Amino acid sequence: MTNQAEGFQPRIVVFACNWCSYAGADLAGVSRIQYPPTTRVIRVMCSGRVTPGFILEAFRLGADGVLVTGCHPGDCHYISGNENAVVTVDKTGRLMNVLGIEAARLRLEWISAAEGARFARIMTEFTEQVQALGPTALKDTTL
Amino acid sequence: MSHVTMTQNEETRVGVFVCHCGSNIAGYVDVAAVTAYARTLPGVVFAQDNMYTCSDGGLTEIKTAIKTHALERVVVAACTPRTHEPLFRDACREAGLNPYLFEFVNIRDQCSWVHRLEPEAATQKAKDLVRMGVAKARLLQPLEEQEMPVEPVALIVGGGMIGMTAAVNLASRGFQVKLVEREPELGGMMLRLDKLYPTQDDAQPLIQQRVAEVRRSKTIEVFTASTLHAIKGFVGNYDVTVRDREGRLSSFKAGTVIVATGARVFTPHGMYGYDGERVVTQLELEKQIADRRLQIANCNLQPAVSNLKRVVMIQCVGARIPERPYCSRICCTTAIKNALELRELNPETEVYILYRDTETQGTRYEAYYTRAREAGIQFIRYSLDHPPQVGEGRVVVYDELLGAKLGIPYDLVVLSTPLVAQEGAHELAQMLKVPLDEHGFFLEAHVKLRPLDFATDGVYVAGTCRWPSHLEETIAQAYGAAARAATILTKEHVTSSGVVARVDESLCRGCGRCVEVCEFGAPALVEVAPGIKVARVNPVMCKGCGACASVCPTGAMAALHFTDGQVMAMVRAALLNQK
Amino acid sequence: MNFDEILRQTRADLCLDCGKCTGSCPVTRVDPTYSPRSTIERVLSGRPEELIHNEHLWACLTCGLCTTRCPSNVDYPAFVVAARSVARQAAVEGTYAHNAVMQELMGIMALPIRQKRTGWLADGLKTVTQGDDFYFVGCLPYFDVLFEDLGVVSTDAARAAVRLMNALGIAPVVSDDERCCGADLLLNGDVQGFRRLAEINLRVIAASGAKRVIFTCPEGVNAFRHDYPAVVGALPFEVVHLTELLAEHMDALPLHALGETVTYHDPCRLGRYLDVYDAPRAAIRAAGATLVEMRANRENALCCGSTGWVHCGRCAKGIQTTRLHQAQATGAQRLITACPKCRIHLSCALKDLDIDIKLEDVTNLLCRAVELDTD
Repeated sequence: MTNQAEGFQPRIVVFACNWCSYAGADLAGVSRIQYPPTTRVIRVMCSGRVTPGFILEAFRLGADGVLVTGCHPGDCHYISGNENAVVTVDKTGRLMNVLGIEAARLRLEWISAAEGARFARIMTEFTEQVQALGPTALKDTTL
Repeated sequence: MSHVTMTQNEETRVGVFVCHCGSNIAGYVDVAAVTAYARTLPGVVFAQDNMYTCSDGGLTEIKTAIKTHALERVVVAACTPRTHEPLFRDACREAGLNPYLFEFVNIRDQCSWVHRLEPEAATQKAKDLVRMGVAKARLLQPLEEQEMPVEPVALIVGGGMIGMTAAVNLASRGFQVKLVEREPELGGMMLRLDKLYPTQDDAQPLIQQRVAEVRRSKTIEVFTASTLHAIKGFVGNYDVTVRDREGRLSSFKAGTVIVATGARVFTPHGMYGYDGERVVTQLELEKQIADRRLQIANCNLQPAVSNLKRVVMIQCVGARIPERPYCSRICCTTAIKNALELRELNPETEVYILYRDTETQGTRYEAYYTRAREAGIQFIRYSLDHPPQVGEGRVVVYDELLGAKLGIPYDLVVLSTPLVAQEGAHELAQMLKVPLDEHGFFLEAHVKLRPLDFATDGVYVAGTCRWPSHLEETIAQAYGAAARAATILTKEHVTSSGVVARVDESLCRGCGRCVEVCEFGAPALVEVAPGIKVARVNPVMCKGCGACASVCPTGAMAALHFTDGQVMAMVRAALLNQK
Repeated sequence: MNFDEILRQTRADLCLDCGKCTGSCPVTRVDPTYSPRSTIERVLSGRPEELIHNEHLWACLTCGLCTTRCPSNVDYPAFVVAARSVARQAAVEGTYAHNAVMQELMGIMALPIRQKRTGWLADGLKTVTQGDDFYFVGCLPYFDVLFEDLGVVSTDAARAAVRLMNALGIAPVVSDDERCCGADLLLNGDVQGFRRLAEINLRVIAASGAKRVIFTCPEGVNAFRHDYPAVVGALPFEVVHLTELLAEHMDALPLHALGETVTYHDPCRLGRYLDVYDAPRAAIRAAGATLVEMRANRENALCCGSTGWVHCGRCAKGIQTTRLHQAQATGAQRLITACPKCRIHLSCALKDLDIDIKLEDVTNLLCRAVELDTD
C-alpha cells in the first residue's frame, strides 16, 4: 500500500443475498465484529439477481470496488442462483478488462449466515485490496 | 409497466422512522442528525426518531403518521429485515398502506454495532443507507399476494417411529396422510433396537403398537418398499409420485411434506479391528443381546449364562474427528444401556467403557451415568493423541486420568459409532429443494426460530435425519412437525409472497432463458398466437429470487420488489452524495 | 427542442394522414396497435404527452421504410428520435435489452479510461498507430463477451476486415482509445451522451493523423456521416464503409470463385440511410458466389428487428422470424450481412428457429474467396 493510499477511504458497493450473506452481515453486527465503514450493502434476494448492468453502473458512478456476495456453492436458497452470480461476475470481469478497469476492483465471495467473522474479514480485506489500487479513475460527473 | 422511469417521481410521499434501539443504535450513531438528514431527501415529507420503533408506541406512531401525513411509502432505519420486516409490513397494512410499500434500512447490524469506534463514520454510513433506502422506496410498487387452495393431505417420507408418530397425530386431527417407507416393513431403526435408555424398556412393543395404530387408521395410506419418485408444485399443492420396488408408480396430491427419513449407523470398516464378530458395533451387540435373551427364554436357561467375561467398549469411533467433527449425542447413553444389559444378563461380566468425554446431560441421563458407575461399569478416559489399540485378546489404552497405559483382556470389543446421514438424503433434498448441512443431515430454516421448518414453505423435518437425537426428543419433534404441517393443512388457502417475477409480454421474445434458469418451474412458455410464444410466471411457484430477470435478454421479466430500476436507484444513491 | 420544432424539422407537420407509413411499418405487422400515422396525429393534435408516456415511443426501429414511401417525405425516424430526447428530459426511458449493459458501457466509454480493446488483433495483421487510414472497429470487442452465448464472434469480421485492407495495401490505424460511436445513445434521445463520445472519437482520430476512417459497422458510418457534423462540426476526414472501398478496388484482390449460393440482408443504415446497395452485392458477386435476393430487398428490405438495444421483444422476434423465413425461401446456404448488429440480432432469433442457414459478415465471405485465413 502506498502512503497516498493510507488516508484513502474507498467507496465500495456490496451486493448481499438475503439468505446467507446479508444474514452473515447481521451476525457480524450481533457479534460486534468491527470492520471499516467503507461498504454500502444492497440487499437482493439472491446473488443470481445481480447483473453486469448493476456492477458497471456502480463503477460508472465512481465506486472504487464492487463486492458480490452469496451463499456457498451447494447452499443457495434457490438451489443454483449463486452459479448465475459466477457467470455474471466472470462476464462483467471480462467487460471490465476491455474497458481497462482493474479486475481486482470486483470480487465475488461466498459468506454463509453463520459466518459473521468471515463477513467482517472480507469487508476488511477487500477494503485493503481496493486501497492498494487507489481511487478509481472513473466518475461520471455529468449527473 | 412497459417503460421505466429512471428518476424518482417527485410526488411520492415518503416517511422515514429512525430507531434508537435504546442505545444499540443511538450509542454510536447520531440518530437526530440522521433523522434531520432524512428530511432533506427528495420525496421525504416526514421523518422522526423513536426510542424503539418496533414497540407498540413506535408502531402506533407509524400508523398515525401514514394517516396524518398521507404517507405513500414508509422507510424504517433500524435493525434487520430478517427479523422485523413482517412487523413493520403489518403496521403499514393496518394503516391501509400496501405492505410492500415499506423499505427497511439496517443501521444497527451494519452501522452502530460494527463501527463502534468511529461514530462519525457510522453516522455518515447511516445517512448513506437511509438515502439508498429512500431512493428505492420511492420506486416501490404495491404488490399483490396470491391465494391458492390447499390440498388437505400430508406426505410423510419415512415410516419409522417419527414418521409414524407424525402420521398418527395428523390422522387424529382428521387429515389424510400418505406415508412412504423405503423398506418392506414399517418401523425403521427401532426394529433393530432391543432396550431403550434410560428406562431399559423393551423397544419392540412400543414400535409394534405404533405400527398397529398406523395400520388401523383409515386415513393413513401406507406405501412400503417405496420411494419418492417425483414431486412438483408448491406449498398446498404438490403433485407426488411414489415408486415401489417393482417400478409401479402411484400419484397423488399433497399440501405439505414432512421429512422423517432417519439416519444410519456408521460402519467402522478398518477401524479397531472391526470384524463384526469379536469387534462389533453397538447395534450389532444389541442384536446379540436380544438373541441371547430369546435363547434364554426359549431354552429355559438361567439368566446368568452370558459367557462374556470382559467387554471393552470404545466411544467416539469415527466421530469428533476432523473428517466427522460432530458429536453423535446418542452413543454415550447407548453404551451405558448396553453395558447395563450385559451386567443384567451376567453380573460377572466386566464392562469397560473407553471414552473421550461423557455426554449425559439432563436430570435423567446424569443419574443414568451414576447408575452405571454404581453398577461397576469401568469408565476409562482416552484422548485422540493416544487412541486405544485393539490387539489379539487385549485392548491397550492410555488412561488419561491415571496417566498410565492399561492392558485389558477382552472377549468382545464394542465400537460406539455415530449416526451418519441416511442413504439417499442427497437425492431427496434435491427433489424437495431443501438444503443439507455439510454432514448430509437436513438443515432447518433457523436453528432457534424455525427448528422444524425448512426455508421452503410447507416442508418440515423431524427426527435423526436432522441430527442425531434421543428418541424422546425426536418423538417431540414428530409432534412438532405434525403441528407445523397442520398450520398449512387447516387453511383453505395459502398466501404466496408478492415478491415474485412478472413478465411484460410485449417485451418477451419467448426465448425460454427464464424457464431454463428457474429451479422451481415458475415460468413457462405459452403459445399466444401461431408460432409466437411468451413466458408466463405462476406467482405461487415463484420464490422471488430474480434470477430470471437477470438472464432475461430484453427486460421483459421484472423481479418485483427488486426491479432493475429499484436496484439501480440504490446503486446511484450509494454513490451520488447529497450532503 | 419543443414539439412544434420537431414537427417542422422532420416535416411531420406536412403529414397527409394517408397511412402509407403504417401500411409499410414492420412493427405494425406484428403489433397492429402500433401506428406511425396515429403517433404523428397524436402530436399534431396537441397531445404529445401521450406519446412521451406510451411504450410505442420505443417501438419504432427507425428502419426508415416508412420514409421511403411517404408522399410528404416525413422523416419519421428523426421525429421519433427527437421525441425520445424530449421524453428523456422528462426522465422517461425505454426498456433496455441485456439489463442496460450496453448503456453502461457507452456511459463508461465517455469517461477518461484506458481501454484494452484491441485484444482481437491476430498475428500477421498489419496495423499502425499513425497513418492515413483509421479502422473504426466499433463495439465488436464488447459484443464478443456479451454474445458469446449466441456463438457469435463479432471480431471475426474485424480480423477479416484488416486482412482485406492489408491485401489492398492498407495498414490501418487501430486504437485502444476508440470509443463507441454513440449512435445507440442518440437513438434513445441521449444527445449529450452522444456528443461526449463524438468529441472523444474526433480527438482520437485526429491524433492518429488519419485522412480516411473505414468502418465495417453501418451504424458507425451513418453516425459519422449524418450525425457527427451536427454536434462536432464538419469532419476533417473521409468516412467510408469497407464495402464501398472494396467495390472500387475489387480487381486488386486475388479472388477465387466460391461457388455457393448466398442471399444478402441490407442493413437499414447502409441501405436506406446511406444508399449503399450495390457495393456489398458487387463484393459478393466478385467472390464468385451466386446471389439470390430475398422477397424484400434493397429499398424495401426488412429490418433485422432491433435497434438501439431498446424495446427488443415480441415484435423484434416476429420481424426477425419473417426475415429469416425470407432468407430460407431463397434456398441460399448463407445469409450475408454487412452489419455486426444485424448479425447478432438475426443469430439471436435463429437459435429458436428450425432454419438451416449460416449467417456471415460480407468481410468473412470475401476473405474466404481470397483464401485468406478467416478464423
